[in-house]
Amino acid sequence: MLKELIAKSFEKSPWLFHLNTGSCNGCDIEIVSVITPRYDAERMGFKLTGTPRHADIVLVTGPITSQSKDRLIRTLAQVPDPKVVVAIGSCPRSTNVFNGSYSVEGPLDKYVPIDVSVAGCPPKPEAIIDGLAKAIEILKEKRRAMK
Amino acid sequence: MVVLSYLFYVLVFPGLLFSTIVGLILSGIDRKVVARMQKRIGPPIIQPFYDFFKLLGKETIVPRTASRKTFLYAPVIGLLALVTVALFIPMFKFTAISTVADIIVIIYLLTIPAVALIIGGAASGSPYAGVGISREMVAIISYELPLVIVLLTIGKKVGMALNNGAITFSLSQIVNYQAQYGPMITKWSLIPAAIALLLIIPIKVGSVPFDIAEAETEICEGPLVEYSGVPLAIFKLNHAIKMFIMTSLFVTLFLSGKGTGILIVDILLQVILSAIVVIVSISTLKAITARLKVEQVLKFFWTYPTALALLSLILVWMGF
Repeated sequence: MLKELIAKSFEKSPWLFHLNTGSCNGCDIEIVSVITPRYDAERMGFKLTGTPRHADIVLVTGPITSQSKDRLIRTLAQVPDPKVVVAIGSCPRSTNVFNGSYSVEGPLDKYVPIDVSVAGCPPKPEAIIDGLAKAIEILKEKRRAMK
Repeated sequence: MVVLSYLFYVLVFPGLLFSTIVGLILSGIDRKVVARMQKRIGPPIIQPFYDFFKLLGKETIVPRTASRKTFLYAPVIGLLALVTVALFIPMFKFTAISTVADIIVIIYLLTIPAVALIIGGAASGSPYAGVGISREMVAIISYELPLVIVLLTIGKKVGMALNNGAITFSLSQIVNYQAQYGPMITKWSLIPAAIALLLIIPIKVGSVPFDIAEAETEICEGPLVEYSGVPLAIFKLNHAIKMFIMTSLFVTLFLSGKGTGILIVDILLQVILSAIVVIVSISTLKAITARLKVEQVLKFFWTYPTALALLSLILVWMGF
């Protein structure tokens, strides 16, 4: 009974943590627009949290600069299990236009396994919501694998 | 039999189970109403239940710098204090425990959840929690003064009528007074005190204009920064129960009365009135304001609510 409730709750209440690793701020604005009245992701239970300890889904934006690499790894290690990593935009998946720069150490999958990747520069809010819906499915799978 | 009935009081009816369910529903209503005020659809009303059960299923991480026992027991201490307060608050004619001076007990017990937050934050060893607990202390200093004055005012008003002028500290006597003379909110000399208490409720539950201690955009949720899993779930539960207790206290102090005589209807009435108080005092303020600075909170509470409460106290003392 309690197990079923918890399993059901995992798909209804995914909390997000937004991690900027040297992004140009385009994707960050699109993430914020997902929780505005027009798209209102809160109706599905999404909530932006202030600390990685409360998060279920980590949204990573940006091409991983040398300054942010260690912080990225440490922050992701602080998220309690089960967790899902979502790469927002083209930067974390391929470093995009910053490819070859002296200070860029991406892409993201060199350091952590990516669960969902949303392409676009920046991706549309609809695409981000779609990616988050897929992330919830993976979160449920991971929760089931934990027990 | 007495033991059984006390167990029932503590675990089921005004205690743990009842206040958990009502508190979570009230915070769901709050989130929904705020969303509708911002022209959003908003989460379902049972969203806090989902949040609570999800947090039960998460991993609990204790940081290496934290002192383990204090870190894990702090939320439980807060929860115990809040469940105890729930026993003292009368719902129209019904009270689980009635004493001569339950207002004093309530003032002390309502401080414990805030102290538990401070202890838990201090035990986590995070600098963000350090900033958060210092802000929580400022919040306590700012709201205690007007809260005590409001309670004194009501005690004096009731004492003038029923107690030969001596201040009463008994909540059931306050309910008796309202059963005889009509709800306290209808006495014009007490309206400033009611407004002051409506302003104290948001800072007590830590909601938006006064949530300096848990400012998630400034200091990463303050004292809660290192909490995850079950202890965090209990802190969120504390928050919800505090919302119910504070609004229920407002209903008992200002909107109570004879009731209908049927227990279940009375309880439902209390819960509905609490929900209305949540919408008026917490949700509306949350939707129309932004967070204040730390020193602005202290200044605000030591001027306007304190002045309103003092005005009421003086009027009551003069016999109005």
